[in-house]
Parts: sequence; structure tokens; C-alpha cells
Amino acid sequence: MLDVESIQFAYNSESRLWQFDFRVHTGECLAIDGPSGSGKSTLLALLAGFLEPSSGDIRWNNVSISRLQPWDRPMTSVFQEHNLFEHLNIETNIGLGIHPGLKLSVKQRKSIGEYLERVGLSGLGTRMPGELSGGQRQRVAIVRSILREQPILLLDEPMTGLDIVTRSTVRELLLAQKAKGVTLILASHDQEDRTILADKQLSL
Amino acid sequence: MVGAGILVLAFGGVGALLWQSPNLPLPDLWQSAYLRNVLHFTVWQAVLSTLLSILLAIPVARALVRHRQFPGRSLLLRLMELSLVIPTIVAVSGLVGIYGRQGWLTQWLQAAGLDAGWSLYGLNGIVLAHVFFNAPMAARILLMAFDRVPAPQRRIASQLGLGSLWLWRALEWPAIKNVLPGVATLVFTLCFTSFAIVMTLGGGPGATTLEVAIYQALRFEFDSSRAAMLAIVQLVICGTLWYLALHRGMDSALVPGRQLSFAPKRKDSRGISRYGDSVLITLFASFLLFPLAFVVFRGLPGLPDSLLPLADSALLKATLRSLVIALPAGFVSVAASLLILGGYRTTRNRWLARMPATLAHVPLFIPPLVLGTGLFLAIRPKLGMNVEAFGLVALVNALMALPFVIQIIRAPLDSMDAMSLRQADQLNIRGWYRWRLLYWPRLRRPLGLGIAYGAGLSLGDFGVIALFGTPNEPTIPVLLYQQLGSYQMQAAATTGLWLLVLLLGLFLVTGLITRSPKNVSKTDQAMESARA
Repeated sequence: MLDVESIQFAYNSESRLWQFDFRVHTGECLAIDGPSGSGKSTLLALLAGFLEPSSGDIRWNNVSISRLQPWDRPMTSVFQEHNLFEHLNIETNIGLGIHPGLKLSVKQRKSIGEYLERVGLSGLGTRMPGELSGGQRQRVAIVRSILREQPILLLDEPMTGLDIVTRSTVRELLLAQKAKGVTLILASHDQEDRTILADKQLSL
Repeated sequence: MVGAGILVLAFGGVGALLWQSPNLPLPDLWQSAYLRNVLHFTVWQAVLSTLLSILLAIPVARALVRHRQFPGRSLLLRLMELSLVIPTIVAVSGLVGIYGRQGWLTQWLQAAGLDAGWSLYGLNGIVLAHVFFNAPMAARILLMAFDRVPAPQRRIASQLGLGSLWLWRALEWPAIKNVLPGVATLVFTLCFTSFAIVMTLGGGPGATTLEVAIYQALRFEFDSSRAAMLAIVQLVICGTLWYLALHRGMDSALVPGRQLSFAPKRKDSRGISRYGDSVLITLFASFLLFPLAFVVFRGLPGLPDSLLPLADSALLKATLRSLVIALPAGFVSVAASLLILGGYRTTRNRWLARMPATLAHVPLFIPPLVLGTGLFLAIRPKLGMNVEAFGLVALVNALMALPFVIQIIRAPLDSMDAMSLRQADQLNIRGWYRWRLLYWPRLRRPLGLGIAYGAGLSLGDFGVIALFGTPNEPTIPVLLYQQLGSYQMQAAATTGLWLLVLLLGLFLVTGLITRSPKNVSKTDQAMESARA
């Protein structure tokens, strides 16, 4: 269970002070909505450890993770764009999610190929991100987040700009993750995404 | 129009020299051992300075990316931004005070029983001074390039816990590989055309650059043919380099930007690399600060005596002369930059749109001495002697500052979003109101900074003024050079300190005059927060 207990954050002394307080059970999907600038991305950045709250606590299964570094937190992120390193091929991009030094076993290398096949990107492992469409790149990012095998998946507008078919594929992947017990935190403007994926909503 | 003006001014200088000397002694280039040596030394010191500057700049920039919070970081960044404006002659006197025969470091090493065994004069000193000026600028530009990596990629890299090697491969190398050729070309050009450093730390056929040889040909040998020929050699070498760099679409910043974005923590900023980075940053900061600290400590006690009595102070008279040249130079360079960038934005022709910006790089490799002399020869019959010389120096200084001032103004002008401009068109906001409402709030600070940069570069100029200035009526850099030449080290340190104070004052005053009103700054902050 993810407990966000009264975390507060402000970019500087003159800007708005944000405060968040909510709870999500394991395997649930929390959808966050709100207008631009309402703090959706800020909240995800706080959860991931990219920003440090001035007070409050974040707990995962009753253990505080507020002081953990981003790479030690039990979560993985998918953003709207720029998820991939443009100068590394698709396999390397995914492989770095499995091991940060790319020391992969034969089984792990095989799993990359299998997952690429599963999302319709078979044979594209040696391509560079620039050679893929926006939807294909987004599927690669989701594959990497799946293979990282973290219990929490943070999604910051992951389906904005995708066509209907790709959007449907991505939703299926996310529902499958949810069914496996992965907790999803989804920031999205899209009502349909929230209806299909979310178990509860947080309006900012 | 302004682009054409620059072309006429820049090449008109060389043209006027050629006009005065129709027979170019081209065979001298390969027949004269002296000229061969000069050419060889010019290229060699520039290559060496460029390599060392870049090799130092990359690890320093990486260390500064890894460590975004330590005491004095913003001060160090500001110092790195301004390294180009620090008057060469002041820095040289500081470097002599640290690394010279009687320098602090040399004496300290001798006291510790170590023989430094180096001489600051010749190639060593020239390369050291070039690295002093160019490594900070290169590091700052590379830091900006690292900063342009999209935030999601940096966050993903942080979350994946990538180590130093993979961060380099995935984020850093891709970020700087397109910028490096431009930075290297810029550093090479600045070192290739270096004048004041070579004048003070070089000398003799073994340590003379083309620029100094041009000065000697004009000032002592009155040989305009040789000067014109050497200028053409310099133009061809640097021009080819810039053509190649610009042809490849290089658009590296000549002046580092000021804003650095927020970045998440990196796994390689911990552990042993943290200590390595701390040592590197400390050594680098010391390398920059100690020569300046020497000038301050050595010069401070003599400052009151040099300024008083006010009516008889040679330093104050030199200050007045310097300001008379520097302030118009700053304003002219900003005005010209605005006109060039205005043309760049309004034309729809791609080739024409690139021309003014390309032309703005021309002053980087046209020798200012040749430019000044050529223009002097071209317009001398029409003008009086003193006013004309000061006016020319101001004009040439303005032209020399142009590439840097354009860079300062260009980014905020480019950041003007198309939506605002379209809305302004719809509302028929044109002319003065368009400038007042749309451009001025965004450009007031960059314009102030541009004036400070242009005037600051001119204030510390020891290039054209060395040719046109008279020993009896020196500007501050010429006075400093005279004091260094006659071994008045105490007086030289005082003059150097005064020049630094003036420079600092210039940046402070322009910063204060052009500072944003409080409500605007709050809006900017709110927008910054929203973007983050």
C-alpha cells in the first residue's frame, strides 16, 4: 500500500505551496486529474524522488521511502515523451532498465525480444529511437518499465498524442500490469483513460 | 543592411591595406624563416591551447553537472561566464604574480624545497593564459549543453541508477558532440588571434603569433604589405574553420546562457567520485581565483594614492579615456546586434536569414589591428586626428564584441512565442507599442548585459588601442602595459584592480538599471514553476 502523508512542496518561497495526502492499495490504479499547472507532474516527481518534499512522508507497505534516492525507490516512470535515450538502440534502452550497467543474462536478453514481439515491435530491437514512431517509442518505454519489475508504475500523460490503436495497446499493457499486482499512478487529462484504468480518482 | 555594413567594415579594412600595398610579398610566406616560424608557432599554440582547454572543460562541466549544490557554486558559474570579459592584461599580471619567477606558487614551491623549473614566458605562459581564459568559457558552454538534455531523460537516467559511463554514453556525449566542434573552433580562433597575451608573455621569433607580427609590421616596420598578407593568411585559416563549422549547421553558443534548469540527483554523484569532483572543482576555482586575488591583494594598498589627488591622477585620466571609448562601443554593438537579429527574424529567405548571423562571426577572425589600420587609412583624409582615432577604436571594439553580444540577445528574442506575436498582429500592436509591450520586458536584462559585455570587452581592450593610442594619453590597459613593461608591479596591480572594479561596476550598474520590476519577476518565477 502506498501512503502519501501530508507531503508539502514549493519550488521557491514565492511560488505556490502544494500539499498532497492520499492512499493507494497494492494493485490499484489512482488517476490524477486537474488543469495544467495544478501539480500532477509535481506530485509524480515527488513520489519518484526527483523533488524533495519540505515535510510529510511517503510510505510503501508501511516503510518510509521519503529518504530513498530515485534509483532505490520501488517505482518506475513513463513520461509523455523523451523516455528513450536517442543515441542508444531500442534493446540497449530496455536493457538499461533491467541492469544499469547492461550486464544482462541470456534469459534477460531473450525476454527483451519476447516483450518487443508482444507489443508488435518484433525485429526493431536494433533500431534507434529516432527511427520509430511516437507510438512505437511509447510502447518501448512501457516494455522497459514492465521489465524493471517495480511494484509501482508512475505514468505522466503516457498516452497523449498516441493514435487510437496504439492507445488501446498501451491500455491493455497497463491493465495486464495492474492484474499482476502493480500499483499504477496515472496523471492524465483523458477521461476515457481514467475511466478504463482507474479504481479511484484524485482531483487537483 | 547591417550585415552588409559589417562586411564592408570588416573586409574594407583589409581592402584598404591592400589598396595601400598592391604588391603582396607572398613568397615570403615560404621563403622567410621568420614568417614560417610565426605561422608554425601561431598554429601550434592555438592547437595546444584548444586541446588543453577542452580537455579541462569537459571534466569540470561534468563535475558541475553532478554537483548542483555547494557553497560558492553560483559565484563560480558567474566567474566562468565573465572569463571572456576579464581584461587580458589584468589576468596576465595576475598569472605572473602566481606563476612568475617571483610568483606566490613559485615561491611556495621553492620554500617547500621544490624547484618549479618553469618559465612563464614563451609557449608555457601563453598556453596557460589561454587555458585560463578559454577553459571556463568552454566548460560553461558545455554545462549549458548538458542542461539542454530533456528533463524526462534525466529523470529516467536517475531512476534507472545509471553509472558514470552510461550517463556519459546515454546523455552527456550526445548532448555535447554537436556543440564541441563549435566550442573548439571558437577557442582555436580566440587563441589563434590572441594579441595581448602574446605581447606580454611571448616575444621573439620563437613565440610570436600572426596578430603580433601584424602589429610589428604596422607599428615598427611600417610595412602595410606584410601586414595585409599576414591578415589574409589569418583570414583564410580561421575563415575556413568557421565556414566548415557553420556549414555543418554548428550553432554553438559563443556566450554561455545564464539559467540552469533543475536536475534530479545522479547515482554517480555519490561515493568516491564525489571526492574526485570536489578536488577538481576546488583546483579549478583556485586556478581562476588566485590570479585575480593576487591583483586585488597587491593592488589594494596603492589604490588611494593612484586616485588622489583627483585632478592629477593619471589613472583617472586613463579611466575617462577608456570610458569614452568603451561606452559608445557597448551601445553600438547592442544596436547593431538588434538590427541584425531583426533582419534575421523578418526575412523568409533561408539563405538570407542565415547570412547576418554568419556575418556576425566574421569579426572573430578579422584581425582588429588590420581592421583599424585599414579603416584609418581609408577615412583619414576626411577626419581629424584624435577624435578619429578614438572613434575608430570604439567602432572596431564594437565590431569585435558583436558575435558575443548577438548571442546574449538572440536567445530571449528567439524564445518569443509565435502565439504572442500572432496575437499582437491581430490586435494591431505594432511599432513602439509592440516593442514596449512585447520585446522590452523580455529584452531589458539581456540588453543591459549586452551593453555591459560590449563595453567590458572594449574597456579591457589591448588590441587596436595599442596601435592607435599614444604613450602620453593611455587608456587603462595601455597604462597597465606601460607599468608592467617598466617593472612597476605595485602600480600595475593597482591599475589592474581598478580595471576589475570598473568592470564589476559596469555589470552592476547595467544590471540595476535594467532589472525587472518585482511583479514581472514574480510572473517569470510562476512560469518557471509551471514549466518545472
